[in-house]
Amino acid sequence: MNREILVLSLRQLLGRRRTFALIALALLPLLVALVFRTGNADTDPVDWTANALLNGLIVTTLLPLVTLVLSTTSLGMEIEDGTIVYLLSKPLSRARVITAKLAASWLPAAALVSLSAASSGAIALQGAEPTLFVAFVIAAAFGALAYSSVFLLLSLLTSRALVIGLIYVFIWEGIVTELFTGTRILSVRQYTLGVADLLTDTRKFEAHLDGAVALALMVIVTAGVVAFTIRRLNRFETRTVF
Amino acid sequence: MSEQREIPPPVDQVVEPVIRLDKASRWFGNIVAVSDVSFSIGPGIVGLLGPNGAGKSTILQMVAGFLKPSSGSVLVRGRSPWRNEELFRYTGLVPEREAIYPFLTGYEFVLLNARLHKLPNPKEATARAIRMVELEEAQHRATGGYSKGMKQRVKLATALVHDPPLLLLDEPFNGVDPAQRLHMMGILRDLAAAGGTIVFSSHILEEVERLADNVLVIVSGRLAASGDFHRIRRLMTDRPHTFVIRSNDNRRLAAALVEMQCVRGVELIDGGLSVRASDFGAFTLGVPLVARDTGVTLYEFVPADQSLESVFSYLVNR
Repeated sequence: MNREILVLSLRQLLGRRRTFALIALALLPLLVALVFRTGNADTDPVDWTANALLNGLIVTTLLPLVTLVLSTTSLGMEIEDGTIVYLLSKPLSRARVITAKLAASWLPAAALVSLSAASSGAIALQGAEPTLFVAFVIAAAFGALAYSSVFLLLSLLTSRALVIGLIYVFIWEGIVTELFTGTRILSVRQYTLGVADLLTDTRKFEAHLDGAVALALMVIVTAGVVAFTIRRLNRFETRTVF
Repeated sequence: MSEQREIPPPVDQVVEPVIRLDKASRWFGNIVAVSDVSFSIGPGIVGLLGPNGAGKSTILQMVAGFLKPSSGSVLVRGRSPWRNEELFRYTGLVPEREAIYPFLTGYEFVLLNARLHKLPNPKEATARAIRMVELEEAQHRATGGYSKGMKQRVKLATALVHDPPLLLLDEPFNGVDPAQRLHMMGILRDLAAAGGTIVFSSHILEEVERLADNVLVIVSGRLAASGDFHRIRRLMTDRPHTFVIRSNDNRRLAAALVEMQCVRGVELIDGGLSVRASDFGAFTLGVPLVARDTGVTLYEFVPADQSLESVFSYLVNR
C-alpha cells in the first residue's frame, strides 16, 4: 500500500459534500434507537436491536450505501476527472495503488458504520446482550472491506458504478437473494450477517448462511475481487484521461 | 534561457532513438486512431503537429505506456512502455486535461509527485521544480483557484520534479498567456539543450514553428510529413493555393492573371474570380501590380483555403 495515495484519497473523500451526507445518514440509527428507547416498552429490546436496528438498518442499508459512495468516489472520480494519470505515471506497482485506494474507502466506511452500530446498539440495548452489538460492529468492519473491494472494482469497470452498485444492493441483495436462497452465496450482506451470527451468543438473531461458511466466502470473494481489480488496473488504458 | 539552438538530426535519421515507433497502429472498435506510423526520435524538441482528433494524443499515450498498440511496436529507450512502470523514472508527462486535485496547494501537488517517485529529497526537488516554472508566489495557494496558465505550469512542475530525460507534453500551451508561453518554451529549450528529449503536441502551426527542431505532421492518424520545420513549412507554402478575388472588372483581370507564370487556373464565379496559384509569395505580390497595370480596382483578395485542415489535407494527399 502506498501511504501518499492513502492520505491523498482520504483528503479527497473527506472534503466532499457527499461525505457529510453520509455522516448525517450514520447518525440516523442513533436517532431511531433513542426513539425506540423512549417509546416501545412492550417490544423485546434484544430482538428489536438485532433484527430491526443492526440487521435491518445498519447492515442492510447504511453499510452498503456508505461503502458504495466512498468506494466509487475513491477511484471512479479520479478516472472521470483524469487525475488518475498522476498516480499511474509513477514507478509504482498498480497493486499498491489499488490497496491504497481500498484502504482509503474502507477505513472511513468501517469507522462510520461501526461507530453507528456501536452507539445505536448501546443505546437500544442499555447493557443487555453486549456480545450482540460487538458482533455487529466487527462484522460491519469486515463487511465494509468486502463491499469496498466489490464497489472499487465496479468503479474501475464502468462509469455507472453508483447505479450498478445500487441495483446490486437493492435488487440483487434485497430481492433476488430473498427469493432464491442459492444466490445468497453471492451476497456481501449475507456474509456480514453470517459473521455477526458467528460472533454472538444470542438466539434472537440467526443468519441464513453458516458463520464459518460466510467468513470463508467473504475472505475468498474479497481476495479474489482485489486480485482481479489489480489485474484490471494493470491493463487499464487511459484513453480518455490523458 | 538559451537562444542558440543546435538542430538535432531529422527524425528519420536518428541513430540511437529514445522513442521508436514501427508501423504502430491503434484502433478503438471500428475507429482507427493511429495507422501504421513509423518514426524515431532522439534528443531535442519534436513537435507533433496536426488538427484536433488527428491522433497526436493517442501517439503520446502509446509512448507513455497508457495505451497498447493494436499492431506494430512502440519502444522507449529500447523497451516497450506498455505495463512498464519503471520507465516512468525517465519520463515526465504533462496531460492535456486540466484536472488536478483542487484541494492541494501547488506545493503539495508537486511534493506528492516527488514522493510518488520516491525521490531521496522530495522537498528539495519540489522547490527546484516550482522555481523552474516560476510559481513560487502561488505555491501555497490551493490549485483549485489557479488560472489555466498556472495549472499548466504546475503540471509542468510535476513532470519535471524527478528531472526526467524524456518529457511528453500534450497541448501544453493551451490557455497559457503569451508571456507564460515564452517562459515555458524557454524551459523546454533549456531541457533540450541539456540533452533531454521533448515531445509535444499542438494543433497550432506557430507554436510548433517557434519551439520544435523537428516536426511530425499527423493527419487522420497517419504520419503526413516529417522533418525539420523549414522543410514542412516549404511543403505547406509551395502547395497550390486558391484565392477569391473581386474587382470592378473581373473579366479584364482574369485575362491579365492567366499571363502570370504561377497561375494554374482562373474561374469566373459569382461576382468574382477563383484563382489557383502554385507559388503563394509570387502570386500575392504580383496581383496588386497586375491590377494596377490593367487599371482594375481590387475590392477583395482573400485566400480561400488557408485553414490548417486544408493544409494538412494537402500534405496527406500530395
